[in-house]
Amino acid sequence: MKVVRVVSCLVAAILIAACGSGGGSSAKVIKLGAILSITGAGGVYGPQSRDGMMLAVKQINAAGGVNGVQISLTVKDDASDKAQATQLTQTLIQQEQDLALLGPTLSNSALGAHPLAETLKTPILAVSTTGIHIVPDCNFPASSTACKYVFRDSLGEETAIPDNIQSYAADQHPKTGVLLVAQDDKFSSDGGAIVQTTVGKYGITLLKTIKFNKAEADLAPYVTQAVQLHPDVIFITSLGGIPAKIMTEARKQNWKGQFLGGNGFNTATVSTQAGAAGTGARSGSAWYLGNNFPSNADFVAAYKAEYNKNPDQFAAQGYTAIKILADSVSRANLTFSDLAGDRDKLRTAMESVNIQTPLGPFQFTASHDVKQTVWVIAMDGNGGFTLVHEIPAS
Amino acid sequence: MGQQLLNAIFIGSIYALFAVGYTLVFGILDILNLAHSAVFMLGAAVTYSLVVNHGQSFLVACAVGIAVTAAMGLVIEHVCLRPLRRRRAPPIAALISTIGLALIIVAAIEQGRPDTIFKSLWVDGANSVSFPAGVVPNPTWYVAGLTLEASKVAIIPISIFLMLVLGYVLRYTQVGRGLRAVAENPRAAQLMGLDVDRMISLTLIISSALGGLAGILFGVALGDISPYIGRDNVEVRGLAVIVLGGMGSIPGAVIGGYLLGMVEVLALVVLGSSARGGVAFAALFLMLALRPQGLFGAKLRERI
Repeated sequence: MKVVRVVSCLVAAILIAACGSGGGSSAKVIKLGAILSITGAGGVYGPQSRDGMMLAVKQINAAGGVNGVQISLTVKDDASDKAQATQLTQTLIQQEQDLALLGPTLSNSALGAHPLAETLKTPILAVSTTGIHIVPDCNFPASSTACKYVFRDSLGEETAIPDNIQSYAADQHPKTGVLLVAQDDKFSSDGGAIVQTTVGKYGITLLKTIKFNKAEADLAPYVTQAVQLHPDVIFITSLGGIPAKIMTEARKQNWKGQFLGGNGFNTATVSTQAGAAGTGARSGSAWYLGNNFPSNADFVAAYKAEYNKNPDQFAAQGYTAIKILADSVSRANLTFSDLAGDRDKLRTAMESVNIQTPLGPFQFTASHDVKQTVWVIAMDGNGGFTLVHEIPAS
Repeated sequence: MGQQLLNAIFIGSIYALFAVGYTLVFGILDILNLAHSAVFMLGAAVTYSLVVNHGQSFLVACAVGIAVTAAMGLVIEHVCLRPLRRRRAPPIAALISTIGLALIIVAAIEQGRPDTIFKSLWVDGANSVSFPAGVVPNPTWYVAGLTLEASKVAIIPISIFLMLVLGYVLRYTQVGRGLRAVAENPRAAQLMGLDVDRMISLTLIISSALGGLAGILFGVALGDISPYIGRDNVEVRGLAVIVLGGMGSIPGAVIGGYLLGMVEVLALVVLGSSARGGVAFAALFLMLALRPQGLFGAKLRERI
């Protein structure tokens, strides 16, 4: 009996010691959580954001972490669903006790996730949400007060779409346009609203706005309606596979005009789906593959080595987000014991970030939005893009 | 307007082909097979995978796609319907079990990624894909200002031919008489020496093969294949079509399919684009309110 007691005491002592040391080291980890659309409509974008983030985490950890502390990143799939994104936000903040969050992929999901992170005083950095009112007033329309904890490194459509239209108008002087927009999605309808308010400034008459639902597969009747008005430009502000389908159908119906769009165009997946039909389709992008300044060239090379394919804008923004957080953590003087206090310190440090990224030199504006160059790109018909214009941050 | 009329006929053909399979099962079993939209999707998904991921020719892929969906008809019968029939469960139980199977099929395809066990079936997860250009020969003609795409034009004769064959089989062959006997009164049919289970299996096979083919045509013509094409595009519309045409009536499903295609496009042109989505429901509601038996469902005594 005595032996048993001694052995069990020893075992208990070892366990306690193990717990103690384990607890000690686990306290010194930078815990980040990402909510991304790996599946569903946003599944065209989310996996690239994830891959970009994972690459940045791997590089930083391999180089010894941030001030010697390793980053641990958990990626959760919200299946492009707003309710799931909101639920995951709560889980990551309250149960997982993450220091900061990234995402969600879709603006529609951000409507649920961001106000919650704001309420729970946890920094959240959006990496691909480009709709209106993501920052600074994440609670819009409930309240127009600025959200203190919500940031984004994704170029807003309010900047990208007008820049794109302006540069095309200067090049080709189009007179008429038709807008095709998915009415049941925040990202798409926000983009549509921006097109509606912008075109007039550049002498383009919007002949018609044609609305449809994002799950509709048979877009032919809508495209027929657009094509029969013989517009110079068709504006497409939808996401997922929709832009490619509209382009393919319109070209089949023998329409020869110009496609102008938004962030929904900016991934190789969409350019590949559109194929030859997409040739020349223009959008304002936050990033361009061919930029050869070192912070981008290094990123592109590392991404290719890791995943054996080219990155896209979403990968670049995901990668940039981790770099922003790592830089902020390095300056935030975290305690790793007072989570609420650390989250506040991180938030303050994020406001003064100023680093070189694949997107170019990166800073936040006072309202936590992106301040960066807009790259106007055109689909090349082979799944890639060419650079048309470079519009510096105003 | 000409192009819009064509658009309506193309999509109407797919609605009709889908609804014929839907209504066939209802006509014979008095059961709504809600897995039919998942079978529709499965046909498109399997065919796409065979062509793109397994390097098969389009025709081989189509044949296998239809065979797989026909086999899925057997699965529906043996897993969802027969066990419940043995226990004399109410029709609502079969409705629920087919919904369950539909969810499982969709979830299985949705999980298909290069690193999962479903990879031979599907690797694109929840994404929407389309056949690469050139896989399906698709010449496009321009006639009198109209765009005629081979993949869409072909749907019309294929659909009409198959529906005529089905009509002929049901009306004039031994098998058809057997199926109609089961529809009329399964118990009497059994007493007359008919193998009712076999007839029901056959019904599910025919129905699912038609559903699968509709899915393949949809995938080719509309360039949209994803785990959700059945749920989002034909599930409720198919229901509207068979209610319009008269539950269980095959000519009704055909006319109903084309009618819905027309009404949807008409709504788009006359009422504006945002009206199109609600039209199927409005048509369904109106028909239920004004003529619950549907266009061709006047006498429920003789179905299919």
